[in-house]
Amino acid sequence: MSQKPVDLDHWIDAMAPLLRLPVADDHRAGVKANLKTAAKMAALVEKAEPSEQPEPAPVYRP
Amino acid sequence: MKPTTSAVEIARDVKAGTLTARLVVAAALGRIDANNGRLGAFTQILSDRARNQADKVDQQIKDGAALPLAGVPFAVKNLYDLKGVVTRAGSKINRDNPPALEDATLVTRLEAAGAICIGSLNMDEYAYGFTGENAHDGPAHNPHDIAHMTGGSSAGPAAAVASGMVPFALGSDTNGSIRIPASFTGLFGLKPTYGRLSRHGTFPFAASFDCVGPLARSVEDLALGYDAMQGFDDADPAMTRRPMELLAGKLDRGGAGYRVALAEGYFAGEPEAREAVAVVVKALEVHRKVAIPDAAAARAAAFLITMAEGGALHLGRLRERAADFDPEVRDRLIAGAMLPAAWIDHAQKFRRTFRDRMLALFEDVDAIIAPATPMRAPRIGQKTAQIGGIEMPLRPNIGIYTQPFSFVGLPVVAVPLWIGANRLPIGVQIVAPPWREDIAMRIARQLEKIGAAESHVAPGFADA
Repeated sequence: MSQKPVDLDHWIDAMAPLLRLPVADDHRAGVKANLKTAAKMAALVEKAEPSEQPEPAPVYRP
Repeated sequence: MKPTTSAVEIARDVKAGTLTARLVVAAALGRIDANNGRLGAFTQILSDRARNQADKVDQQIKDGAALPLAGVPFAVKNLYDLKGVVTRAGSKINRDNPPALEDATLVTRLEAAGAICIGSLNMDEYAYGFTGENAHDGPAHNPHDIAHMTGGSSAGPAAAVASGMVPFALGSDTNGSIRIPASFTGLFGLKPTYGRLSRHGTFPFAASFDCVGPLARSVEDLALGYDAMQGFDDADPAMTRRPMELLAGKLDRGGAGYRVALAEGYFAGEPEAREAVAVVVKALEVHRKVAIPDAAAARAAAFLITMAEGGALHLGRLRERAADFDPEVRDRLIAGAMLPAAWIDHAQKFRRTFRDRMLALFEDVDAIIAPATPMRAPRIGQKTAQIGGIEMPLRPNIGIYTQPFSFVGLPVVAVPLWIGANRLPIGVQIVAPPWREDIAMRIARQLEKIGAAESHVAPGFADA
């Protein structure tokens, strides 16, 4: 994780067209709050899991 | 039949011919009619269906059929399919869907065993919440104090069982949605091992974690329902082929001989939770403690995977009908759809690592004791709570103690405790190794037998 603060508006503005998911103005504050929480959660996971070795939990069995 | 009558007692009397399923259903419908307005438990009451099934059960009993759940009324969180009923999953949007063509697998199995489905129950929208406050149907109210939350997302099941409308109900648990309402409303709740019970015919949330299971007022009732629902179902791709491990009537050997440890560190936090855990530790004479490394990261990884899978699941609805979601659910789902794939892959890799760590812990212990919730049921409408000495948003933090265990699919029984003069209960989790529901259930039964854990119909509803 970069230590630089994440610009949450840029994040939404970049992802919304890719997902074809318009974010209404009155929904934006809530989405930003959740993205901020998610970024903190991702930092916790990254700190705990430096290894590249484990197979991700869901394994497809043909 | 009283509201306090257990599933075991109902089945016994209906089988003996001293009670009819028709009378049981009439009594249950009467209680629902009297109390649902103030509890917000049921969203759909299926009187005709229930009466028809009751008549069928009564005839089967006359014909000599062996029905372990003869005449036992139950209800389901409204994400379970019921034939002819729209599966709303707590949402406004899904009400526009056509009615379900068939019952969910677990409903079919319970009714084949003689149980009677009375209807479907309130829940947090799309199961994404821990409060039981539904933006469309109103909140479910805690029967032990109707100003307080039931917890969620299996909110209606908790309200229905704690008020004696039915002796047991089916919920689902992705991150704690059976264990949290069990804690807040004073019930026993079983979240089975991931892949143990069929989810076929239930509306999904986060497929990596989704589990289904029962809430009840006694461990024997929990076991009776659980037994009837077991068995492979190839319609649920997450199911594992396991032999049925029947528990009803086999729980009284208790938890003696099991190596039980108290989870410390991350789980030692909040005062009300600490007090609850101390009761169990004393009752079971637990002297061992176990540190669960990276529990906070496990919770964080569960949080991310849930957001992402939920966001992807609902992407079409978010595009087309964002304004029709509960705003608190919608904003989390939109954010979930925008998470980087690398985060989710890391979280799934960490899931494997954390599973291995938990399995290593279970080489030395048979069960782990941990709090179910950081606090007793908050008031309906409450938005924040003191967690770790800091005022935190309530909604996402109610599940801090449940998420690390469902993250790796472990079976857990939540047991209810009543401490001092407090009229609101609080739950403790009995966590067992994968596929060892029997251990968690036996320990729960032992706690129940010695009176440390106990569930009852809420005062004010018990004489209805």
